[in-house]
Amino acid sequence: MASEFELSRNITIGQYVPTGSFIHRLDPRIKLLVFTILVLAIALNTSYVGNALGLLLSIYLFWVSKIPVSYGLSGIKPAIPFIIILAVLQLIFQGNVFSGGTVFFEYGFILITSESIRLVIVSAVRFVEIILLSSVLTLSTSTTELTHAIQSLLSPLKKIKFPVHEISLIITIAIRFVPTFAIEMEKMMKAQASRGADFGSGEWWRIIQRTKDMLPIIIPLFNIALSRAEDLILAMESRCYTPGNERSAYSVYKALVGDYIVLIIGLLLSLLLLFYPFPY
Amino acid sequence: MRGKPIIEIENLFHTYMKGTPMEHVALKGTNMVVNEGECIAIIGHTGSGKSTLIQHFNGLIRPDSGKVIIDGIDLSKKRIDIKALRRNVGLVFQNPEDQIFEKLIGDDISYGPFKLGLPIKEVRERVKWAMNMVGLNFEEMKDRQTFALSGGQKRKVALAGILALKPKILVLDEPTAGLDPKSRNELLDKIKSLNKIENLTVIFVSHNMEEVAYLADRVYVMANGKDVLSGTPIDIFTDKEKLQRYQIGTPETVQALYRLKDLGYNVDTSAFTISEAADEIIKVLTNGEVENHGK
Repeated sequence: MASEFELSRNITIGQYVPTGSFIHRLDPRIKLLVFTILVLAIALNTSYVGNALGLLLSIYLFWVSKIPVSYGLSGIKPAIPFIIILAVLQLIFQGNVFSGGTVFFEYGFILITSESIRLVIVSAVRFVEIILLSSVLTLSTSTTELTHAIQSLLSPLKKIKFPVHEISLIITIAIRFVPTFAIEMEKMMKAQASRGADFGSGEWWRIIQRTKDMLPIIIPLFNIALSRAEDLILAMESRCYTPGNERSAYSVYKALVGDYIVLIIGLLLSLLLLFYPFPY
Repeated sequence: MRGKPIIEIENLFHTYMKGTPMEHVALKGTNMVVNEGECIAIIGHTGSGKSTLIQHFNGLIRPDSGKVIIDGIDLSKKRIDIKALRRNVGLVFQNPEDQIFEKLIGDDISYGPFKLGLPIKEVRERVKWAMNMVGLNFEEMKDRQTFALSGGQKRKVALAGILALKPKILVLDEPTAGLDPKSRNELLDKIKSLNKIENLTVIFVSHNMEEVAYLADRVYVMANGKDVLSGTPIDIFTDKEKLQRYQIGTPETVQALYRLKDLGYNVDTSAFTISEAADEIIKVLTNGEVENHGK
């Protein structure tokens, strides 16, 4: 009840939790690379055992980074409705896509087989794994480190005139402002609630009414976002930011032996998830 | 003039983000009593728990432990009429102009009254009254565009939006922050007349000691999530030892009088309103002591 308006507690992406663990101290480039490969490997694995392995791995990584798993799990809460809707849609419509497997239920175009059930369960678990993994990454890496990592990993693309710096800047700003806007939104909800607004108390099927109820929050939030953007532009320009300029970095990263070991372990795990023929 | 207690807070605790790594204890046993019709200032440094405390007043935050009774409603109970509470306690946030979302001034101010389900005639009356209270001409301003207003006018519109709910208690978080001196003085006068003429109980948070001296009947000083000091502005601003311990600033008038006293002039340091302080200084000047002392 006390947390009626505490939005920021459910947003774990973009919050940095400094615990100084081994994962925090990894070279950010290698960390980002390993996490990207792991997420890809998990996204392509369709077996029960493989995904159970992935889930265990993501929880283990929370433990290593000394961040409470419960904190990562709270980041899943807002995604639950999407996971459920996705699962229902897949259950109804995907039966015909994957042939094979035992047919459990057939009615009209609805076909539920052991294969489509596998798809539903695996994609739900996969969703959770990916949220957990990306949470560990962002909770253990400051935004500055992330930018440097993105930039240096994408730098080979400069050869084909890809705007590496600009893209990494856009990503950083987007991630950086997620918690900021959560806080602004919290404030706005409180302010409008003080004027008699109430949110989410209308019947759920009256979508238009409920959307209208959100206008007193959405409109001010857009205003705030625009003025924040203006402030940011001024702040950057007053520090002589020039788009497209060659710039040097304050901190130079040097990968150590430990970093390479992590990279190798990460690669091996990913290969395992990708190519090992799991029995289930 | 003291009415019966309208806000009673006893040993109030509150923790933000409980159960996350960002857990933070904001209130550690705060006590406060506000009587009907009083004007109370809450002062204290950033992070002392002022904003957390005032959000308890209209139930935006519910107490973790301790007693909070607002106008007869006990907030530690699970089921309370939160709408009635928010109708009786008007909370004006910092930079309230951010919350304006309608295109026209009149529409924005009428948002609250419409949400109360009032008939349109009553809403119109309330909007008119609220605009009048903040010094905006109803006929002239109601159909103006909100985005074209100056900062001071926007803040008046936002304040009117709260007043239109006809609250008994008005709570303001740094009401004059970021305003130019002229708008600041205007707004302070409006708040004063709301308190003295319309008999609203007013509670405001401020960093500006001139404001505190001008408006408040009583002052609460917050530090580290607790109320550490309370009393009339005279009590607070003349207690030199405690002023220093809690690093509270004083109005410039008090500073000037203290400096005169330090130089050996016979002045009354409790005369902190501008006119009283001026009288004190004139007294010193006309006593002809200037030639004897001086620096």
